[in-house]
Amino acid sequence: MKITDLLVPERISLNRKLTGKTAAIDALISLHEKSGSLSDSAVYKKAILAREAQGSTAIGDGIAIPHAKSPAVKKPALAALTCPAGVDYKALDGKPSRLLFMIASPEDGDLHLEVLAKLMTLLMDGTFRESLLAAASPAEFISVIDKAEKSSDKVKSEASSKVASYRVLAVTACPTGIAHTYMAAEALEKAGERLGYPLKAETNGSGGAKNVLTAAEIEAADGIIIAADKSVDMARFNGKRLISVKVSDGIKKPDELIERIMSGDAPIYTHKGEMPSASQDGESIGRQIYKHLMNGVSHMLPFVVAGGIFIAIAFLIDSIAGAPQDANFGTNTPAAAFFKTVGGYAFNFMIPILAAFIAGSIADRPGLLVGFVGGYLATLGSTFAAVAGDIPSGFLGALFAGFAGGYLMLGLRRLLDLLPDALEGIKPVLLYPILGLALIAILMCTVNPFMGMINTSLTNFLTAMNNTSKILLGCVLGAMMSIDMGGPFNKAAYVFGTAAISSGNYDIMAAVMIGGMVPPLAIALATTFFGSRFTKEERKSGPVNYIMGLSFITEGAIPYAASDPLRVIPSCALGAAVAGGLSMLFGCTLMAPHGGIFVFAVVGNWAMYLLSLAVGSAVGMLLLAVLKKKKAN
Amino acid sequence: MQKRTVKVVNPQGFHMRPAGVFANALAKYECDITLRHNGRDVNAKSLMNLIAACIKCGSEIEIICEGKDDKGIAEEKAALEEACSMIESGLGEV
Repeated sequence: MKITDLLVPERISLNRKLTGKTAAIDALISLHEKSGSLSDSAVYKKAILAREAQGSTAIGDGIAIPHAKSPAVKKPALAALTCPAGVDYKALDGKPSRLLFMIASPEDGDLHLEVLAKLMTLLMDGTFRESLLAAASPAEFISVIDKAEKSSDKVKSEASSKVASYRVLAVTACPTGIAHTYMAAEALEKAGERLGYPLKAETNGSGGAKNVLTAAEIEAADGIIIAADKSVDMARFNGKRLISVKVSDGIKKPDELIERIMSGDAPIYTHKGEMPSASQDGESIGRQIYKHLMNGVSHMLPFVVAGGIFIAIAFLIDSIAGAPQDANFGTNTPAAAFFKTVGGYAFNFMIPILAAFIAGSIADRPGLLVGFVGGYLATLGSTFAAVAGDIPSGFLGALFAGFAGGYLMLGLRRLLDLLPDALEGIKPVLLYPILGLALIAILMCTVNPFMGMINTSLTNFLTAMNNTSKILLGCVLGAMMSIDMGGPFNKAAYVFGTAAISSGNYDIMAAVMIGGMVPPLAIALATTFFGSRFTKEERKSGPVNYIMGLSFITEGAIPYAASDPLRVIPSCALGAAVAGGLSMLFGCTLMAPHGGIFVFAVVGNWAMYLLSLAVGSAVGMLLLAVLKKKKAN
Repeated sequence: MQKRTVKVVNPQGFHMRPAGVFANALAKYECDITLRHNGRDVNAKSLMNLIAACIKCGSEIEIICEGKDDKGIAEEKAALEEACSMIESGLGEV
């Protein structure tokens, strides 16, 4: 609460001449009354006089602060009056009073004491008192207070930041993250103050983590209290004394918890699982972006692997069953259809998950919604003209949705911090979701049409190319398949290929499919032969990409492409271009629009087709090896 | 030097009236009387200092009485005794 929140120009009267204490009180009450802070000025005056009867509120140094709590006060307010000549307010030191403040307090709350303390801190400074008396207008009077208050707050916050070493830290969290999280944090902080151990409590509420503990604070603390009913990030507390209790214990017995930490009674916590990467403090922007990206990619990976393997199994079943290798390949037998459909459903989540966990990494929980929906809108390709969907913007669109959505929510959170604390509870359940959804929908519908335009112009471009060099066309188609792995480039090439099948040109589809097979294969080969270029996790999921690549499931490459697009995409695209060009050169043909190695039986000139695939994948692998930097371990 | 830690028990804390009573009662002693609260030292004989310290109910405060020379030990003890008993008795508000 700031003093200037309570004091408005209408309640300030300067350079008054007053005959005595009664006149001063009447003048101050009338300021309150005029500005509407009282419901009954007579009742309030009675309270003021009762207080004065207990002893004068003129505290010396020419200052008087009459005050009263009364039900007749509508809302807390402060009135001020200057009387340069001085008025006899029956001060303890007998001196006349020149600065008079009157505090009107409603019955509840101890706001009274805080405002009084703050005002007093400022008034102890003689030059501050003189500048108040010298103020020419109520506005100037307020600006004098405002300036002094700001600089004293600044000193205070600087002082408290120097205290950086809290001896006790706490993290509070509850499943809904609206009330108990904050109640526990407050109870712990108050208990800490009471016991003389200043305490910092991080709240992992549904509005995201606030008052986050820094690595330096954790390092300096004696111990940590976790009062949470849901999981919190624990890796950072490795090696510290730690007690983990229910959130309700944080509310009910904060003193006991703090005493346990201070008595050294708490066990030392050893974190099981991976050690965290470096702390968040002072991370470079590039490093932060990489972290957000990897959060999305690592969450997406299971969907890619499971979905991809299921689709591959579907192809396998159909080829064992001897089903026709046509456009329905992979769904011709009921068992294959089961795997292909379920795998496809897992794939449907892939792009939204990527966007959601990028946004979630940036903006915490409020980011998830914008990421999920933004990613979904990217897979649909929604535009204002066709909200139900048009040309998908694929994983590139999802990267955009994740980052734009995440930073959007971060901005929104900052903006909504300006709202009163009373609204804290409805922010995560109402304000963030609704505003976030509106913003991301508008954003994606604005961006997606450009994807459609790219797609249309690419299709026109391909049609025009059809009559020139076939080999060049093969290169272009191959490259397009692997540029965005499901976005406008990929879709344009794929649709062009299927359209060619229906018009009897089977060589084009062959180049298209081989272009889509190269990226996962190139990556799989690179993880096998150049493992030092990949993280441990990336190496582990490398072999799966052999299956993905051979099954023409380009999506297998997305996690790798998403985590390092500038190096992975050009490598894959070039390898795919080589494969596509060679396929055309050898006059390979394909009549099925998908199926990978399982439809090689119907590929015309399949031996050469296999050779083209091998060469293209090898080119991609070598480029990856050259472009990607060696990882530390 | 004499010192002791006490807990503020009156529900409103050190607001103006109890702070005034406290400061006035201690004014008669010659020794310095310091009140340590939240790591800050304030002059216990100054009403403004006391109010500015914003001492709430439940706070633990340390009272330190220090006279000029050894002669004053009796006075230090008396001042400390009076200050502590005032706070513990709720400054007339409990």
